[in-house]
Amino acid sequence: MRLIARFAQELPEGIEIIDVYDKKVEKQLLDFNDLTIKTLTHKYPAAIWMERKIQDEFGVEFIDAFDTRTLVKHEYFPKDIFPMRKSFTQKELSFSSFEPYEWEKIEGEGVFEVGVGPIHAGIIEPGHFHFSQAGEEILHLEVRHFYKYRAIEKMCENKHPLAIRKIIERVSGNESIAYQIAYFDILAQASQQEFSDSLKRKFAALLEFERIIHHLNDIGFIANDVGFSAALALGSKLSEEARRVFEQITGHRFGFGAIQTNLVIDFSYLNTFLDYLQKELSFFWEWINDIPSVWDRFDITGKLSKEKAIKYGVVGVAARASGVEIDVRNNDFYQQFHYKMQLGKKGEVSDRFKLRFLEIFNSIAMIKSLQTNGKETIELSHFQDGQYMARSESSIGELFFYIKIKNNLIDRLFIRDPSFINWQAFHTTIYNDIIADFPLINKSFDLSYAGSDL
Amino acid sequence: MIRYWGKRFQTTLQEDNEIQVIKQELKDLIKKKFGGSLAIRMVDSGSCNACEAECNALSNPYYNLEELGIHFVASPRHADVMFLSGVMTFNMYHHVIDCYNQIPAPKYIIAIGDCVKNLGVFEKTYAIRGNDLPITHYILGCPPSPKEILKGLLEFAKKV
Repeated sequence: MRLIARFAQELPEGIEIIDVYDKKVEKQLLDFNDLTIKTLTHKYPAAIWMERKIQDEFGVEFIDAFDTRTLVKHEYFPKDIFPMRKSFTQKELSFSSFEPYEWEKIEGEGVFEVGVGPIHAGIIEPGHFHFSQAGEEILHLEVRHFYKYRAIEKMCENKHPLAIRKIIERVSGNESIAYQIAYFDILAQASQQEFSDSLKRKFAALLEFERIIHHLNDIGFIANDVGFSAALALGSKLSEEARRVFEQITGHRFGFGAIQTNLVIDFSYLNTFLDYLQKELSFFWEWINDIPSVWDRFDITGKLSKEKAIKYGVVGVAARASGVEIDVRNNDFYQQFHYKMQLGKKGEVSDRFKLRFLEIFNSIAMIKSLQTNGKETIELSHFQDGQYMARSESSIGELFFYIKIKNNLIDRLFIRDPSFINWQAFHTTIYNDIIADFPLINKSFDLSYAGSDL
Repeated sequence: MIRYWGKRFQTTLQEDNEIQVIKQELKDLIKKKFGGSLAIRMVDSGSCNACEAECNALSNPYYNLEELGIHFVASPRHADVMFLSGVMTFNMYHHVIDCYNQIPAPKYIIAIGDCVKNLGVFEKTYAIRGNDLPITHYILGCPPSPKEILKGLLEFAKKV
C-alpha cells in the first residue's frame, strides 16, 4: 500500500488524523487532553515531513518518531503556538529569539559541511541543501525547505469554496492547471454533478499542454547543467513559443484562470503549433542523441533506485523514470485518447531526461485526439457540506487535494503537492555522486518549492 | 554532431518590433548610466515561481537580455539591483534582509509582480510578513510577462 498523505483536522471533539492510502482512508480521533498517536515513519519514510508538519501546526506528538525537529517553524518562528488550531486567529506574529536548527550530522576525520541556500545562485526558489562532504564526495544531504511557507491552508479557511479560486491557481505557478483541475473536481463533487465528456477532454488537453511547456523548459535546463547551452537556447525558445500559444488559447501565459465550466479551446490553432513542435522536437531528439559528452554526464548520475522510489512512495516523472508504474492518468478515460505510460529503467538523470521527451511526444498525440467541439457546461454554485478528495497528475506528479466544507464554508483545506513526497526521497539519489553533480540532479527532478512549502 | 551543422540557421524567430525598440533604448541607457553593465540579483521571498519563470524567460532567444549588458549574477556582492518577488514570508525575512545588506551601494530594488506591493491575490496570514524594504520601482503583473519586465526595466533606467 502506498501512503499518499497523512494530515490533521480539528473537530469540536478533538483532532482527527487522516491517513490516505492508495486503497483506503483511515481516520483516528485524538482527545484534546491526549494528543498522541503512533508514528508511521518506520514503515513510510515519506511520513516524516507530514508528521513534523502536524506536530508544528497542531501540537500532536508522535510516539516512537525518530525525527521530532520542527519543520515549518524556522529559527525565529515562535515555537509555543499551534497556528492551524481553530483557536489561533492571529495574523501578525513577532519574531522569537533565534533558536538554531540541529542539522543531520556526519562525524569523522576531515568531514566538513557545505550549506547551500536558502537563496541560490541562479533564478530559483529558496530552499536549503546541507551537505556533509569528504572531499568532493557527498556523504550525506539534508534537504530543508519551508522558507516559502505562506500558510495557504489557513488562508483558505472560512471562505466560500468559490472565493479561493485565485489563490489555488497561484499555489505553484508551474502546476497551475493541475491545481485548478483538482479544485474543480472537488467543486463538482460537492455540487453533486459530473463534468461532461467534452469538458473533461478540454481540461485534459490544457493539462497536457501545461506538461509540454514544463518539460520543454526542463530539457533545455538539464542539458545546460552539463554545459551544453545550445540545448537551452532551443529548449527555452520552444517553451517560450508554447507559452505564447498557451496565452492565445487561455488568455494567460501560465493558464491562471483557464479552467472554467464554459471553457472554449481553439483546437485548430493548437494543432498547427503541435505539428510544428513535433517536427522541432524530433530534430532536437535526434540532435542531442548524437552528442556523447552529454550522455556521459547524464548516465549513472543521480540514480533513484526502484526500491527507494517505492519505499518513499515517490510519484510522477521521478517514479516513472525509475520504472514505477504510478500515474493518475492511467485510467479508462485517458486510454481512449492514446495515453501510454512512459517508463524509464534505471532512474538516472538520463532516464528522467528521456522520459520528458517521451511524455511530450505522448502529450502531443493525446491533445490531438482529445479535441472536441462539445459545448456542454454545468453550473457550480451550491455546495453540500462534506469531505471531498481529488487527485490530478501535474507535470511533476500526483497532486492530492482535500477540502472539508462546513456550513457552506471551507473548514479545512489540505494539499499534498507531488514535490512534498519527492523532496524527501531526493537525498537517496546523490550518494554515488560528487557535489558538482548536484545542480544537474536537482534540475532533472525539477521539483516545486512553492507547492511543497505551501 | 557535424551532421547538424547545416541545420543551424533553419530555426527562425518571429521578430517583434516593439521589443527591439525597447531593447535598443534600454541598451543605450544602460551604457550611459551603468557603464554598459547592469548586474541583477534575483531574490524570491515567497512567490509561486511564475515570476521566476518569466525572469528565466528573459534569457531565451526571444528576449536575450544579456546582449544589453544586463546579467543575472550569483552573488548580491556583484549586484547593482535586486529583483524581489513574492509575499515576503516570515521564514524568508531575515535572509532577504541579509542579502540586501550585502549589495554594495548605490543599490536599487525592483519589485517583480503584484505580491511585493500588496500580496497580490494572497491575504495576510501569520506566516506572511510583507515587504518593508525600500522599492525603487514596481513592475506589476501576476506575473509580469518578459515584455512587461523589459518595459519596466526601461522605466527604471529612465528614473534613476
